[in-house]
Amino acid sequence: MTVATVLMLVARVRSALSAIAWARAVLIGVSASGGAWVMMQIVLQRELALSVRSMALAGAFALVIAAGIRAQIGRISPTRAALWMEERQPAGFALVTLVEQVTARPRSTDVVHTADAADTTSRLVRALAAATPSGGVPSGGVPSGGVPVIAGRDDLARSAVRQLRGPVLFAVGLALVAVGGPRVWTGADVRPRRVSDDAIRGARDLTIGPWRVRVVPPDYSGRMATDYGDAASVSALSGSRLEVVGAGARLPEIRMQSLVHSDTAPAVVLSPADVRSVADGWQAFTTTTAQPTELRVMRGSESRLLLVDGYADSLPRVELRLPVRDSVLRRATGVLPLEALLHDDIGLASGAFELIVSTGEGEQFTARTVRVAATRLNRTHDTTMRASLNLDSMALGPGDIMHMRAVARDGHPSASREAGISETRSFRVAKASEYDSVAVEAAPPPEFDKSLLSQRMLLLLTEKLEARRPRLTRPVLLNESGTLARDQARLRLAVGDIVFQRLGGESDAANVHGADATGPPTGKADIGMLEEGDDSPVIAINRPLLEAYNAMWDAGRALEQGDTKGAIPHMRIALAAIERSRAASRLYLRGKPPTVIVDVARVRLVGRDTGVTNARSPRTRLSAVSALREARLLAAAATAGVDVAMTRDSLAVLRLESVADAPDFARALAAVLAHLTRGGDLTDDFSRARRTLGGLVRVPSGDWSRVGPP
Amino acid sequence: MSVPSDLFVFATAQYDSGDWDSAPLVPANVIDAVARYTNLPVRPQGVTVSLASEAVLQYPLLYLTGHLPLRFTSAETDVLRKYLLRGGLLFVDDHNHDVDGTFNTTARAELRRIAGPLVPLPNTHELYSAFFKFENGPPTTSHEMNGWGDNLIHEHLDAVLSGNRISVLFSNKDYSSEWSYHPDNKRFLSVDNTKFAVNLVVYALTR
Repeated sequence: MTVATVLMLVARVRSALSAIAWARAVLIGVSASGGAWVMMQIVLQRELALSVRSMALAGAFALVIAAGIRAQIGRISPTRAALWMEERQPAGFALVTLVEQVTARPRSTDVVHTADAADTTSRLVRALAAATPSGGVPSGGVPSGGVPVIAGRDDLARSAVRQLRGPVLFAVGLALVAVGGPRVWTGADVRPRRVSDDAIRGARDLTIGPWRVRVVPPDYSGRMATDYGDAASVSALSGSRLEVVGAGARLPEIRMQSLVHSDTAPAVVLSPADVRSVADGWQAFTTTTAQPTELRVMRGSESRLLLVDGYADSLPRVELRLPVRDSVLRRATGVLPLEALLHDDIGLASGAFELIVSTGEGEQFTARTVRVAATRLNRTHDTTMRASLNLDSMALGPGDIMHMRAVARDGHPSASREAGISETRSFRVAKASEYDSVAVEAAPPPEFDKSLLSQRMLLLLTEKLEARRPRLTRPVLLNESGTLARDQARLRLAVGDIVFQRLGGESDAANVHGADATGPPTGKADIGMLEEGDDSPVIAINRPLLEAYNAMWDAGRALEQGDTKGAIPHMRIALAAIERSRAASRLYLRGKPPTVIVDVARVRLVGRDTGVTNARSPRTRLSAVSALREARLLAAAATAGVDVAMTRDSLAVLRLESVADAPDFARALAAVLAHLTRGGDLTDDFSRARRTLGGLVRVPSGDWSRVGPP
Repeated sequence: MSVPSDLFVFATAQYDSGDWDSAPLVPANVIDAVARYTNLPVRPQGVTVSLASEAVLQYPLLYLTGHLPLRFTSAETDVLRKYLLRGGLLFVDDHNHDVDGTFNTTARAELRRIAGPLVPLPNTHELYSAFFKFENGPPTTSHEMNGWGDNLIHEHLDAVLSGNRISVLFSNKDYSSEWSYHPDNKRFLSVDNTKFAVNLVVYALTR
């Protein structure tokens, strides 16, 4: 046996051991990857689809595991292979020593190395011979060259079986489980059966999967189509074309149902013409309405909802700003400015002012319609329309009535589409017979009020003059006092006009006083004296004013003489008399009102809309519909922390159902949905929605909770 | 006169100028409305209190109306200023329902001098939902609808606000005429037109 022969044997064994190690590592890696695949299907309770991506992922996982295990086994060196051989055929470590000598020596000492190796080889052969019981060759036999085989193929085969048995058994079991599919762990039929390609395609069609939703608004709106992608809820203008495109060759069944009165409204199944196959799946079409609608797409055992928030094209909103109010004209002449605000959600098409003039009376009248300032509007949303109306051109006569309003149309093509109209203003030309009954002219204050103020003013001026009197010369005093005396005389004459009410409607205070210059008249005889100079009889005397009148006379006389101090008492008497007269002559046309003391006990809480404080106020019972909605709201709130998707769908359906008859509640639900998308604590939003549903208005403590219509 | 703190007393302001007592049946009508719709304890008869007297400080709501020019004396000015500073609510109603009338012009000038400028009160103010809910702001009066006075329908009331609270409420809608009838005649009305008075009282007592 030569050294080269021994080394060749060791190299072969080393290669075989390395191959076994790699095989073991790969088997373990593949088994681990397959085990993970099966575990995922068990956890998810559904069969995972095989795709290139998933296969690549599993392979990479297996490769990583294999590389790790191989690294853990370590490198199979020649010394390690020799040691493995000596474990099975002991040779006193002569083989290991030989391999180490050969692998450790540098090539420059090959001569010495060869001598040592030969020595070691001879020692190895002796050792092997001694180890053999019969003194012959070992069990490996003697090759034709006479070289003993230290470790034979049987050893390698046994080692391979021992190393690979476990991983192979695990892989086989795993394969059985994988082939059996979900039925293995669900206890269903596990017998293998042949599955056709059609059946495989049908199984894929059992799921609906993602879809693409596209809303194409009607042409007249001028709006662009909107792609919503894999949406669960879309908003669509009434009359829009709704397209839904999904995957899978099997056509789904699609039911469409309005969510307004969804308890009684029948569900409509889309016809085959509206659901058809396309290259990669199916496609469905429908036309949206102005109502919230639910599309339920069903295939196999699975169904999916698409909620369509349909809204109508609103009529244009028109507000007539000018003229501000109705009027009655004496003559229809001049220019009348017209102004209107127009608004539309889609776009305005045209606008005009409409005038309807009716002429005549009784059963004979005619009417004509005039359009003013007709304007084409290029799909603007808001605009202000202005015009001027020449009333002369309308040729309105007495009794004619002109009704005026602003009209706007949007671009809706329907022939029955109504126009948006403003409130109507009416202008009527008055007839001559109406003039004496409608005009109420503002009248100046009566002379009576002016006299009161003037007397007070005269008294103040007289008091001031009296205060200045010591510093004034006599002529100046007489001059200023005389001025006051003349004012006092004028005031006295004004008062005298209303002292006596004569049947003839006239009074003659000067004559009256001339007949009674010495003092106020008293008794019937005095009245007779006062009538002197006037033929019409006196029908009433204002006695307080008569007293004031006489006092003014005395005051005026004193002022004429410059006796301001003597005039002041008379002036005060006159002022007091005038105030008494003012109080005495107050007239209430409705009569003196009674003193009303309310019988509180009798009327207490007999009104139809009463209220009490918060602490005592029970909440009103919800209607049946509201109670049902409240239950659904609470159910959605209970699932909000568990299944967000389900909560979102429930709330979205509830919101759309409530839009028509409970818009406030729908708005509150929209807030909940928005918050649900953002995430966070939804407690306040749910509480607000519940309060809104009950019509409760939150007010501070101690305030009032009962709020009813006026 | 001392007033129990838990008893609402409707007070009519008496001032030296003008005709302060031009709507003598309004107090009884408001009292009737308060008793009819609420459980507020209320005195069955209103009181008349001089603006020059500090007795007005006992009443959270003070009603003032008239047709004639309004000029507050210095004593009335002082007391009214103190009343508003201490949280009282002065409800002034133009009995002329005329923005060009003498009461409107003089009263606005006087109130500007004492309390500050009047500003339009939004129709969403909590006054309109303090008890009954008035979606469109102050209810229209029949005098407005009949086109008397200034021939206008006033869309809103004016107010002087102290923070968010109304201290002076000014009306040109002539509630003084609208509410000036015997409360027993409410049975002839299809809709009680004094409901807004309940809001006024509740607002004055709770804000």
